[in-house]
Amino acid sequence: MDYFLMLISAIFVNNILLAQYLGNCPFLGCSKEKGVAFGMGAAVIFVAVMATAFTWIMQKWVLEPYGLGYLQTLVFILVIAALVQFVEMFLKKMVPPLYKALGIFLPLITTNCAVLGIAILVQRKEFGLGMSLYYSFVASLGFTLALMLMAGIRERLIIARLPKSLQGTSIGLVMAGLMSLTFFAFKGMIG
Amino acid sequence: MILQSLLVMLGLGLACSAVLAVASKLLAVEEDPRVEAVLEALPGANCGGCGFAGCESYAAAAVNDPNVPADRCCAGGADTAAKVAALTGKAAGSAEPMVAFRRCAKTEGNVKKLYDYQGVPSCAAAKQLGSPDACAYSCIGLGDCMRACPFDAMYMAHGMVHVNRDKCTACGNCVRTCPNGIMEIVPQAARVMVLCSSQDKGKAVTDVCDAGCISCMKCVKECPAKCVKLEGGVIRIDHAACIAYGPECQEVCAEKCPRSILRRLGATAQAAPQEKQEEAA
Amino acid sequence: MSIVKEFTKGLWKEIPPFRLVLGLCPTLAVTKTASDGMGMGAAVIFVLVLSNVIISLVRKIIPKKVRIACFIVIAASLVVSVELLMQAYAYPLYQSLGIFVPLIVVNCIILGRAEAFAAKNPVLLSAADGLGMGLGFTLSLTFLGALREIFGYGKLFGAEVFGPAFKPFTFMIEAPGAFVCLGLILAAMNYLAIWQSKRAGLPEPDVAVSCGGCRACAIGESKQIIQEG
Repeated sequence: MDYFLMLISAIFVNNILLAQYLGNCPFLGCSKEKGVAFGMGAAVIFVAVMATAFTWIMQKWVLEPYGLGYLQTLVFILVIAALVQFVEMFLKKMVPPLYKALGIFLPLITTNCAVLGIAILVQRKEFGLGMSLYYSFVASLGFTLALMLMAGIRERLIIARLPKSLQGTSIGLVMAGLMSLTFFAFKGMIG
Repeated sequence: MILQSLLVMLGLGLACSAVLAVASKLLAVEEDPRVEAVLEALPGANCGGCGFAGCESYAAAAVNDPNVPADRCCAGGADTAAKVAALTGKAAGSAEPMVAFRRCAKTEGNVKKLYDYQGVPSCAAAKQLGSPDACAYSCIGLGDCMRACPFDAMYMAHGMVHVNRDKCTACGNCVRTCPNGIMEIVPQAARVMVLCSSQDKGKAVTDVCDAGCISCMKCVKECPAKCVKLEGGVIRIDHAACIAYGPECQEVCAEKCPRSILRRLGATAQAAPQEKQEEAA
Repeated sequence: MSIVKEFTKGLWKEIPPFRLVLGLCPTLAVTKTASDGMGMGAAVIFVLVLSNVIISLVRKIIPKKVRIACFIVIAASLVVSVELLMQAYAYPLYQSLGIFVPLIVVNCIILGRAEAFAAKNPVLLSAADGLGMGLGFTLSLTFLGALREIFGYGKLFGAEVFGPAFKPFTFMIEAPGAFVCLGLILAAMNYLAIWQSKRAGLPEPDVAVSCGGCRACAIGESKQIIQEG
């Protein structure tokens, strides 16, 4: 039951993008087409789960035992950067079709607040390893959902007659705000 | 404290770099170094103007496919073409310069309207309801091709789209975008062109359009080089053969066309007295 | 004189995040109140100026292939210092900024200015650029925060602005309000830019597009290349 509640909470109630503001840059940059949006979302899921695993291990086995909790940010970002670099090389060699699909998004994800944000969030919520991995998976699913919805909307916006000043990012942000408002309705679902 | 953090960071840094260094050797992917070199020469904008999915696709095609010309990159211009040509052993600018051409002579009033379309201003959307013109193969005129052009080479005038020959790079986006398939890539030096994409014949055409090809086949019979053919219901010209044959025939196909659907283009257009309008491309 | 130019460009012409669209996440998240916005801005000034200076000092030594990793490490160390300073001297601010303090390290402004400016320019210019951008960011955040606080709480920096009859417009404080507010401010900036260029008779500028092209990723790189022609 706990897991189901967390699924609903992470995807709808506390959507990592629409309620917790993490991951705006790829959201606005990659949401112009559904195909690109799905690729980005899949890449985020892939990287976020792995990054959470590695950073959790680093936190529990290296930082906390030696009282170096204050180095969290530095260590996490280094681990994530190295991990993404490694994954890129691995995919290119071992799974070329996957590399073709996700490869271009990987460098974008390194410096993206969604992944680092999730890694730090699970530490602050003090989850165990299993729960952390599950949370990072469902949170990224929520990100992908928001991204796909936005892509669908923006594909329609292309042929709408908008005033010049509203085109591009401005209307994207306003749409995101309205989407966020609709997700508010889910707050009543739990409790 | 300081020593501990320094040691941990150093250790982490060394471990990461060691893993990455080893991985870059073990997971190295064999690639034709020429593809990498061509990719370096390209601007990396991934704009799609070359007609390929991105710079990497074009680099791979330029190296591996002998038919792909070296000068397709338009974001990079002549410099890039020269570099790519040098790397792939092809001659820059060896391909015949091509342009896009609209195979439709619709102007205000010469095609009957089936209904007045008031919807999403997109040709693809209008086509979903069935073309608003009585001719199912006409230029719908809502500008999907214009918006698809990455080089700003198309503009709307008199309810249909025109191609700016100087800016057009024949990337093919408009051909792919047009829901009626009326855009065609032709050589810039093409001498004659058919301004109709209708697959109907005879009365079916004259009922709906004053400027449509009725497939009377006169042009096919008259051409001395046999380069005009009826294919897939429309008249197609083999431009390579036509240009190779030369101006000797004096574009007899265009002379004999009873409805002036086949028109002279370019330099020869000045000589022809029946040309009232600037040819549409 | 060019130091002054580098400094002032961050204050209006290329003000992040309104003109130079970088660093949207903290802009949306920490601007519930004006003081939070100002606090985040101050932290970013600290990190940005110091990171620009350090990177400019070592720019000749860093090999090209690992430059992004180096920039990240330098920025991360500065962010750790800022975190510790905040915990020591401004704990209420640290608590209200929450997770976005460590996330300063992936703020596109830091990496973007490092890559686009500090890696190629001498120390004083980079410092001026960092200071200008940081101040611009602080101004934007404070402005947005003030807007949201005034309509959302009826207060400005904690002081009551309207009378007791004011019904707070809670929409502004929550996530939707942030998105919509920022979107409308960006639209207003676009409109202003278009109006100004019309007055000066110049061609219409591009509307603000997401991603200021910091070149840390493929999107930014290709943008830079298209702009450079």
